[in-house]
Amino acid sequence: MTAQATDITRAPSAKGALRRRLPGSLAWHIGALALLAVILYPVVWVVGGSFKRSEDIVGSLDLFPADPIVSNYTSLTDGIADIPISTFFFNSLFLAVGSVIGILVSCSLTAYAFAKIRFAGRNLLFTLMIGTLLLPYHVLLIPQYVLFRNLDMINTYTPLLLGKYLATEAFFVFLMVQFMRNLPRELDEAARLDGCGHLRIYWSIVLPLCRPALITSAIFTFINAWNDFMGPLIYLNEPGKYTVSLGLKMFVDQEGLANYGGMIAMSLVALLPVLAFFLAFQRYLIDGMATSGLKG
Amino acid sequence: MQQGKGVERRTVLKAAGASLAVTGLGATATACGGGSGSGDGTVTIRYAWWGAEDRARRINKTIDLFEKKYPKIKVKTDFQPYPDFWKKFNTQASGGNPPDVFQNAIGFLRKYDAKNVLLDLKEQVKAGNLRMEGFRAGLDTFGEIDGKLLGVPVGSNSMALVIDKPVYARAGITPDMGWTWDDFDEAMARVRDRTGRAGDSGMYGVMYLYDLYLRQNGKAFFTEDGLGFTETDLTRWWTKAEKGVRSGLFADPKKVAQIKPKSALSAELAGSEFTWDNFTVRYTSEGKSEYGLAPIPTTDGKRTGQYLGSLMLSASKRTQHPVEVAKFIDFMVHDPEVATIMGYDRGVPATTAQYEAYRPTDPVNKAIAAYEESLVEAGVLEPITPHPNGADICEAAFLRIGEELGLGKRSVADAVEQFFNESKTALSS
Repeated sequence: MTAQATDITRAPSAKGALRRRLPGSLAWHIGALALLAVILYPVVWVVGGSFKRSEDIVGSLDLFPADPIVSNYTSLTDGIADIPISTFFFNSLFLAVGSVIGILVSCSLTAYAFAKIRFAGRNLLFTLMIGTLLLPYHVLLIPQYVLFRNLDMINTYTPLLLGKYLATEAFFVFLMVQFMRNLPRELDEAARLDGCGHLRIYWSIVLPLCRPALITSAIFTFINAWNDFMGPLIYLNEPGKYTVSLGLKMFVDQEGLANYGGMIAMSLVALLPVLAFFLAFQRYLIDGMATSGLKG
Repeated sequence: MQQGKGVERRTVLKAAGASLAVTGLGATATACGGGSGSGDGTVTIRYAWWGAEDRARRINKTIDLFEKKYPKIKVKTDFQPYPDFWKKFNTQASGGNPPDVFQNAIGFLRKYDAKNVLLDLKEQVKAGNLRMEGFRAGLDTFGEIDGKLLGVPVGSNSMALVIDKPVYARAGITPDMGWTWDDFDEAMARVRDRTGRAGDSGMYGVMYLYDLYLRQNGKAFFTEDGLGFTETDLTRWWTKAEKGVRSGLFADPKKVAQIKPKSALSAELAGSEFTWDNFTVRYTSEGKSEYGLAPIPTTDGKRTGQYLGSLMLSASKRTQHPVEVAKFIDFMVHDPEVATIMGYDRGVPATTAQYEAYRPTDPVNKAIAAYEESLVEAGVLEPITPHPNGADICEAAFLRIGEELGLGKRSVADAVEQFFNESKTALSS
């Protein structure tokens, strides 16, 4: 509404305004492009580096090599340390998708309870849950390790996934609770009058309306799980079960041969799934914002 | 509303049940592996080490060999780069689940012995499962602490001055055994003046080098339970370092930090670097130049203060299979075929049998062998001095604070005070 109003008032002097605004807008665009170049430079450097020989990667200042080679990529097909790289990608994908499903199911259910059901101790529990956000990861690391060891779950993916299915990620619960609280109460009251129970309201009313929050959570969870290093490092004891983030670390150590070329090529390949996931879901995000805008 | 509540609870329970079912599914789909023993007497041991893929391929081959010879023992490997290895190891050790056998270094022995993590392998030696004969120059007692055998050396390394050969040639410097620190200072200036490159990459943070310098002067970095030098000693060492950085004798620490993990030497920021001799393998793979090994400068023209350093294999006190672990270590340090597979990857093999089984053919490893032999011939090798509990933390602090000094974030006095504070805390815990 406001946008329309200003357009109307400005209409008579539109040409003049354009002339007046042109230098400013030009400067703005050039500034934005310059900033983009700075931001993109590391990415371009990595792309260029992936076609360089290992010994040229650090040292030569050229962005792109004079004689590009593809052996960094082709050598990836030999695998890392006798393990095909598809193994790492499959493991990472399994963890990332498993985490997304877990977060979506468990956090939205928990959020529904906090947002829509009145029960004794709700506020206390909610505060406690938010409180877990303040616990640093390092404090939990060893107790959690001991716990999972006693449950005989070390060297499985369970320790990395279980928490996600039990709504332990307070941030996502919080995000969804805030979103659900903003949904009009009339909607679930109407549903209740039509005879819906909580599960039905959750599934048919709240979840579809929460799509933007769910998509946001899904994207963040996917990226977090894909990038997670500490968790897989601690809990997985066999290179065959390793994720991409651990695999990337296998190229270089202080002793022995260093394969920077392979590392850079693999890190680019490792970016692709995250990029694909983001691109596939971000349009739902924008779409979701549009619908939530209409609601108000 | 009162009536509604019961319904609510039931639906919530249902929903909870559904999510639990999903969890269960996830768990069963992923849970596999685990147990280390099975019905037919086959035993599985876990073996962890630090390194990269090249070492992994070699170790995998040696394990195939081992499993062929001992079909009843299966070995599961696990590896990370050095810093991640210790992160993981610390968590596992604190959680009571360390690997059965693992790569270890001298700075960690007392620390993990104090934490009751390391197995005394003496019992296994007595039982005949592990032979401690046939080791080179005193390495058989290298991993012994208070009469306990806590680590078995797999390969030995020595500190060296790794040089960029063409750069040193252009500067007209040929370091000989027995050259002094004055010669070294002069050489640094000549490299800077004649080649336009810093002489050294920043020796002031290298604990193992300062240790050698102290040993040349009748001291050592550590005593049984503390530091073996005074604030005055360190002030002198670091004042010289600060001057070196300012005058361009040592590489610009900012640039050195930027090109990490590549070394300043292979990135052509410096003409030489003090480090372990087997690092030339990596430098050759990441740099374009030719790298050689020069002796450590001396104070009196004779003593370099050097000793054979070594990576070791240690066993966990919690292992269920000490006999198998001992047999595994025995195989890895004595079997000649293992040596031909590993080469000098973890240093020059620790036993004479393995040392003779592998003769390097490539120039880099040949140079390492020649360097190690020259140390023996010159008779500069001395016994190692103790590394107390907390030595690893002191080493890291020395490197970090030395770097901060180089970057100009700390004055010499401030850096010395900080180091003494941190190491006192580390050594008293």
